[in-house]
Amino acid sequence: MARAITPGRKAVNTAIGAGIGILIFFPILWTFLTSFKSEATAIADPPVWFFFDWTFENYGAVQERSNYFRHFWNSVIISVGSTVLGLLIAVPAAWAMAFVPGKQTKNVLMWMLSTKMLPPVGVLVPLYLIFRDWGLLDTRTGLVIVLMLINLPIIIWMLYTYFKEIPGEILEAARMDGAGLQSEIIYVLTPMAVPGIASTLLLNIILAWNEAFWTLNLTASNAAPLTAFIASYSSPEGLFYAKLSAASTMAIAPILIMGWFSQKQLVRGLTFGAVK
Amino acid sequence: MATQHSRAAARFMIAPSVILLLAWMVVPLAMTLWFSFLRYNLLMPGDNPFVGFDNYSYFLTDPAFQAAIVNTLLLVVGVLIITVGGGIGLAVLLAQPMWGTGIIRIMVISPFFIMPTVSALVWKNMFMNPVNGLFAYGADLLGLQPFDFLTQAPLASIIGIVSWQWLPFATLILLTAMQSLDSDQMEAAEMDGASAFSRFFYITLPHLARAITVVILIQTIFLLSIFAEILVTTNGGPGVASTNLTYLVYAESLLRFDVGTGSAGGVVAIILANIVAIFLMRMIGKNLDA
Amino acid sequence: MGRITLEKVQKKFGDVEVIPPLDLTIEDGEFVVFVGPSGCGKSTLLRLIAGLEDVSGGEIRIDGKPATDLPPAKRGLAMVFQSYALYPHMSVRKNIAFPMKMAGMSQEEQDEKISKAAEVLNLTDYLDRRPGQLSGGQRQRVAIGRAIVREPAAFLFDEPLSNLDAALRVGMRLEISELHKRLETTMVYVTHDQVEAMTMADKIVVLRAGNIEQVGSPLELYKTPRNTFVAGFIGSPKMNLIEGDIARKHDARTIGVRPEHLQVVDSGGTFTGKVGVAEHLGSDTFFHVHLDEMDEPMTVRAGGEVGLSHGDTIHLSPQPDKIHRFDDRGLRIA
Repeated sequence: MARAITPGRKAVNTAIGAGIGILIFFPILWTFLTSFKSEATAIADPPVWFFFDWTFENYGAVQERSNYFRHFWNSVIISVGSTVLGLLIAVPAAWAMAFVPGKQTKNVLMWMLSTKMLPPVGVLVPLYLIFRDWGLLDTRTGLVIVLMLINLPIIIWMLYTYFKEIPGEILEAARMDGAGLQSEIIYVLTPMAVPGIASTLLLNIILAWNEAFWTLNLTASNAAPLTAFIASYSSPEGLFYAKLSAASTMAIAPILIMGWFSQKQLVRGLTFGAVK
Repeated sequence: MATQHSRAAARFMIAPSVILLLAWMVVPLAMTLWFSFLRYNLLMPGDNPFVGFDNYSYFLTDPAFQAAIVNTLLLVVGVLIITVGGGIGLAVLLAQPMWGTGIIRIMVISPFFIMPTVSALVWKNMFMNPVNGLFAYGADLLGLQPFDFLTQAPLASIIGIVSWQWLPFATLILLTAMQSLDSDQMEAAEMDGASAFSRFFYITLPHLARAITVVILIQTIFLLSIFAEILVTTNGGPGVASTNLTYLVYAESLLRFDVGTGSAGGVVAIILANIVAIFLMRMIGKNLDA
Repeated sequence: MGRITLEKVQKKFGDVEVIPPLDLTIEDGEFVVFVGPSGCGKSTLLRLIAGLEDVSGGEIRIDGKPATDLPPAKRGLAMVFQSYALYPHMSVRKNIAFPMKMAGMSQEEQDEKISKAAEVLNLTDYLDRRPGQLSGGQRQRVAIGRAIVREPAAFLFDEPLSNLDAALRVGMRLEISELHKRLETTMVYVTHDQVEAMTMADKIVVLRAGNIEQVGSPLELYKTPRNTFVAGFIGSPKMNLIEGDIARKHDARTIGVRPEHLQVVDSGGTFTGKVGVAEHLGSDTFFHVHLDEMDEPMTVRAGGEVGLSHGDTIHLSPQPDKIHRFDDRGLRIA
């Protein structure tokens, strides 16, 4: 593609691309705009686009009426907690499989992946009963454990593909240079593995934040994260568009921004390395 | 140096993951299987007698089950057609040179990061609502009767919402695959006199074949388990018009508290997902050797 | 000091024996090249010496001290890898300093050695860059720098030039040779390129399938190859190996004549054939000559200005004292 492309052609491409982009993005933009309207403006006919009295009152109202931040905090604890816990368990496993592969390594990896294929509804009943009997229903601890388990295969796989890319020769070079196991880990392996671990962390926080099967089925009000909290807006509160928008905007904004930064890792993480 | 010592250490490092996942897979699975053979209802305390395949015959002959299977397939296939078709188109488009690629891409992939309950509610209320939704306004503008999407075409509406969420995923993966297309190959085809059209069909599409398969398989796994979107928008209704298998099992188990039947449904769902999983695992496994 | 001795060293991967028991002595200060086709076990042999692979049997000694069970770090050797294996997250300075840091050397001493190594290797201006910002040749130098500062008993090179382009390769070859002259440290160098072996080595070890085929100086190998394999492997273009009636006339199964030992004569001569491809290099011309008696074309090195072209008849006669004779097992007949 070394040939020059005419500016006209490029302008047409840009126009089509931007048009489709805005179309796809529109519901998010509309939600964002609506969150700053008064309820009356939000359902005005014809719709009002940009020129209205921007107000923050919806954000205040959402917090006041339903203690929004408790749910936000639940989301943070559940998504970050499950991811960090998952990493603690997965890093040694992925490390060992990448650097000391044995005959069974491939089978173990594939088997781990297969657990991810299990439809959640297949184990809904027993899990619900276990949670009920152990007093884990509607607790953050319970959700941290479940989300950690459903994302553990993805975490191990992502880490494995990252660790696998660290060339073995570098570790050998370190050994030749006189590094013992400890300095090898501190000075060579860890710095090279950190970017991969960070990407894994990011993607899994996103996945856990948006998880909406277990969070809906295993929480009521105490431990409900934002997914479940927003679901409670189903009706009739959902008809208050401005407040619904404000609650939605706050729920999606942090993760949307994180998502923009993790585009590349997303492909890798969700296709288990099958597409690079 | 894979010595005996490092092997033992490796096993020790892998063990926690294996034990956890094994427990996570085996224990609930065994329980589901066991419950599926019992008459077990949380609302009726007492014995839970063994009833053999009664739950299965009840679940499988329930008209709601047949509807759910049809709905599940329609939902999966419908979303796949829209997202894969649209994804190919968008990937080809976004691979073209243009200004502001970064920002356009960000806009296109954003829906993927929206939590299911938010996107379902936003679409339901702010777009599809027959009184105040934007679509109603648009219909009004064109002089048409407003259409009550979620009542009159509940499944199609849900397909639309889910497609919006998954289109970015398909696009992003296909775009990534597009970028690994060897430009030499394209140039060679051009030298051989292939038109843009035949270049797409004979080079781009075959090159994307693998990525398309991956997209189809992975999406299928997730789409079989669509739940939150249905819960928030239609509750599976009207009637069972938008009930899929996942939602039906949920309704049996946690709304009607019929653990036995719910478990039987769960086993059916597992079998269905496994059929897809086998194909997906093969593809990923092949890649692992490469 | 760096005298390395291998006694009955053997390597098996599972049941596959890649290196049968083998003896070899590398003298202090020697430049030894392991050469052979890919898969001949030359890299494995180097890695055994380095300690990156465990030996399956036998003994390795470095300066007379047993090293078989020492970890790589304790052997006092330095290695330059094919991929250079630089630490991507460290600057050039830190890369070079790493082995000294591991040895617990003082900061002043480190700085002094780094600047000295950088000067020798023309890296002074690049010390604060990351490996990713360097060209292939510069990375190669950093890898060498990292090896030098350890002041090892011996340097091990694993095909260090194979990732460089042709021009750079010639330059680096000279630099490594010069380095050897200056440091007078033992160097063990693995390559599949016989030109590198011939130009750099004090001693060449030709390997095939884990076996040592011949050990000797470049000229020994050139003049008296012990068998047909070495004869064909050393020298460029390859030696012509001729079987059949012509060989029988010399009481041999196979005879070998190097292209540079064939003379173009006006008429008569031992061989008569037709010129196939002629490669004009200016200084020399290589003719591929098709003979009736042979399937393979014979290669001839002639002067730069021999005016023969495709299809011409050519008469050749070998220098009688430069004919190599081999027996049924391919071994040299004295």
